[in-house]
Amino acid sequence: MKIALLGNPGVGKSLIFNQLTGLGVEVNKYPGSTVTLESGNVCYKKDKIELIDLPGVYSLDGNSEEEVLVRRFLEKNGADIIIAVLDATKLERNLYLLAQVAEYSQPMIALVNRIDDAEAEGLLIDTGRLAEIIGIDVLFTAASLGKNIDRILPLALSSAREPALFIPYDHHVEAATRTLEKTMGTPRYKNLLALQDEGDELALRDAASSIAREIEQRHRMSVSQIIATNRHNFARTVAAEVVKKSPEKRQFDLDRILTRAFPGIPLLCLILFSLLLTVFVIGSWMEAIIVQTFTTYIINPFMTLALPPLLQRLGFSVLVALEAGLGIAFPFVFTFYVGLSILEDTGYMTRAAFLADRAMHRIGLHGEALIPMVIGFGCTVPAVLSLRLLKTRREKTIAAFLITMVPCSARTVVIAGIVAAFVGIFWAFSIYLIVFILIIITAVVLSRMTPGDQFGMIVEMSPLKMPRTRFVLQKSWLRIKEFLFIAMPLLIATSIVLGLFQYFGIIDVFQQVFAPITVSLLGLPEYASTALLFGIFRKELAFETLAVLAGTADLGSVMTSVQLYTFALVSVLFIPCISTIAVLYRQMGAKITILASLYTVVLGMMIGVLINILMK
Amino acid sequence: MQPSLREDYLEAILLYTNRHPAPPSSHDVATTLRIPEPAVRAHLAELAAAGDLVVSGTGAVVLSETGRETGQRVIKKHETLQCFLTEILGMDSSSASNEACRIEHAVSDETIDRLGNYLRAPPVMGEKQGDYTKTAVYHSSCIKNDPEGISLTLADCEEGDRVVVREISGRSCAKRLLDLGVVPGQQVSIKRKLSNRSLVVQVKACDVALSPEIASAIFVERGA
Repeated sequence: MKIALLGNPGVGKSLIFNQLTGLGVEVNKYPGSTVTLESGNVCYKKDKIELIDLPGVYSLDGNSEEEVLVRRFLEKNGADIIIAVLDATKLERNLYLLAQVAEYSQPMIALVNRIDDAEAEGLLIDTGRLAEIIGIDVLFTAASLGKNIDRILPLALSSAREPALFIPYDHHVEAATRTLEKTMGTPRYKNLLALQDEGDELALRDAASSIAREIEQRHRMSVSQIIATNRHNFARTVAAEVVKKSPEKRQFDLDRILTRAFPGIPLLCLILFSLLLTVFVIGSWMEAIIVQTFTTYIINPFMTLALPPLLQRLGFSVLVALEAGLGIAFPFVFTFYVGLSILEDTGYMTRAAFLADRAMHRIGLHGEALIPMVIGFGCTVPAVLSLRLLKTRREKTIAAFLITMVPCSARTVVIAGIVAAFVGIFWAFSIYLIVFILIIITAVVLSRMTPGDQFGMIVEMSPLKMPRTRFVLQKSWLRIKEFLFIAMPLLIATSIVLGLFQYFGIIDVFQQVFAPITVSLLGLPEYASTALLFGIFRKELAFETLAVLAGTADLGSVMTSVQLYTFALVSVLFIPCISTIAVLYRQMGAKITILASLYTVVLGMMIGVLINILMK
Repeated sequence: MQPSLREDYLEAILLYTNRHPAPPSSHDVATTLRIPEPAVRAHLAELAAAGDLVVSGTGAVVLSETGRETGQRVIKKHETLQCFLTEILGMDSSSASNEACRIEHAVSDETIDRLGNYLRAPPVMGEKQGDYTKTAVYHSSCIKNDPEGISLTLADCEEGDRVVVREISGRSCAKRLLDLGVVPGQQVSIKRKLSNRSLVVQVKACDVALSPEIASAIFVERGA
């Protein structure tokens, strides 16, 4: 038995999903797409039920990855029962999606969620009447309070049925769907889709296109507009009948401060800056503790076991990878994710995107691109995945370049471990400053050079609310799990390969080949090239390898401040890590990946040489 | 009587009838056309004889079926021409109106029909980028003698304004707007406007943030 949750973004779908499944969630990649589907198993009356959380969509007719995924899921009867989640505070807009889902005629029930917020706003919803109109059972829920969550599955299993909902479209559109039904033998929902030039059946789209053109001439409107207007009108009539609004309670609207240019923009800068500072401070403090404990209680005892050299080398590589993984994942990435989840759960991220719109336009992007950038401070991999928020190729290309340059947690480790520890905290911040300036210059140049057109921001502002500790931690945990899944296996594998390289002396050959560059151009010790190479596999490995090769953790005693500074800056800018290259390749293709990698190598080298010359 | 003069009469009388509660007297017709009243009386008698109109006992001028039809055709020609001259050729509206007054008598019905289709044709998705704002202004905007109403976009509105969406110029970006409820006829209120013309608008109880280039592709009208 499979049950899928479907609804607009931000209706509390994932919250319901998490409460029904607990934390045992699997994250699945859908074939041929970067959108993830979350699924989890629930036991109900000794039956195993697979629950699927579909990505939030506003419509089923679009061509965004999420919309196509949900549409194909419905077409293939991906679930036995659909649970449509509606937002009680925005019932009308949510009914628009429900109206579309209903056309797929699958057994379903509807949840009217966020009923607590609706009550606070003075909205009364007559679910009985709603159920009558749409022809399926409707249940009130308040996911954030856990209200009625236990009644969802029993209701879905006992009384899910096909909705009895019929939207009367404009008579030309209706005539067109009937014609297509006769000539092509396709169901109504597919015909409606084809008239809007969407869907997978090319023959049908071909047949529909001439009819659509005729309708468009007659109405002076695109078919999408006509259909959307019909559906919205339907939703409005239903909402008018079902929702009663008591006189509005006047509440203080925080947006009066948050979305104004002043003090909104200074506040935005302050919030982002303090997020980074917190991650930096808490991260380096916690990392030191974790690394120390790990070394004393696990690595050192392991080394005293006196195993055969090859075995010892392999075991050591695995342990170092684990140590590094834990040392970065929890202190830096997790702290960052907690902060990010708070920003998202309060609804502030969308305001940040709005405020950043102006500045982002200057660099050929728009407000929505701020979100991947901010995510990039945590880890570049999910940031690259979130590039799908952007719609045109041009925006994706520019943003992809910039994201690979944003200092992620691993790079923060390098900056904190080398510069802040041995050179000085202000020098550490100067590295951030240099990176930001380079990002801005890159952005300005790219926005002039990248072909294609610009697309603006259309973002729904999420409502402002107090974040709840439990949900923030839950969300951060799911994210860090994703990070560990992607990063950990790769960490261990590369660590073993490098260990073997070292064991068989391949590293020495490498060092000698690159010695001219490292020693004469960058003014670094010979072994620094190996450290930089390790940095390609994982950024913070650059720092750890350096310590291993230098033979001491007290880097200040073997390298000068200028050398340390140069090394840190080069490894921060130098080529994205191998996981980033992999996702970048999947998301953007080979060309952009190679260009971005080459660009960062050249940039890193140039800046390194420049610093070496200037400071000598 | 010259055909062009007849058309001017019928057009003027129809416009007057449409805009006022009662039909015009010969005096009203004279003031509208700026022709001396005695001459107007003679002309009206001539038109009445031709069956274009009837002058009632109280002196009210009422158009007949044929007169009304002719008048309507002339008004349509005038509007289409004026729209073409202002929107496509970029003339200012008063000289466009004068010019239209002269061409309307000579132009054939077919030309006007084709011109109307040209003005009405929805911009083809994805083909005409950049110049979409001009083709998106339809003929209907000419009927309203509201100079602001022709090209008022969401980006021109101020904080606190309540407007009704009239038209979304046809780029494929419109799909997301449609899904969020920004469809023709929908009331929208402007909650926040920044100096670069980025907006937060409220539509169907949801706040939506829009970039300036999106907002300026949404044509709206005030007062609902």
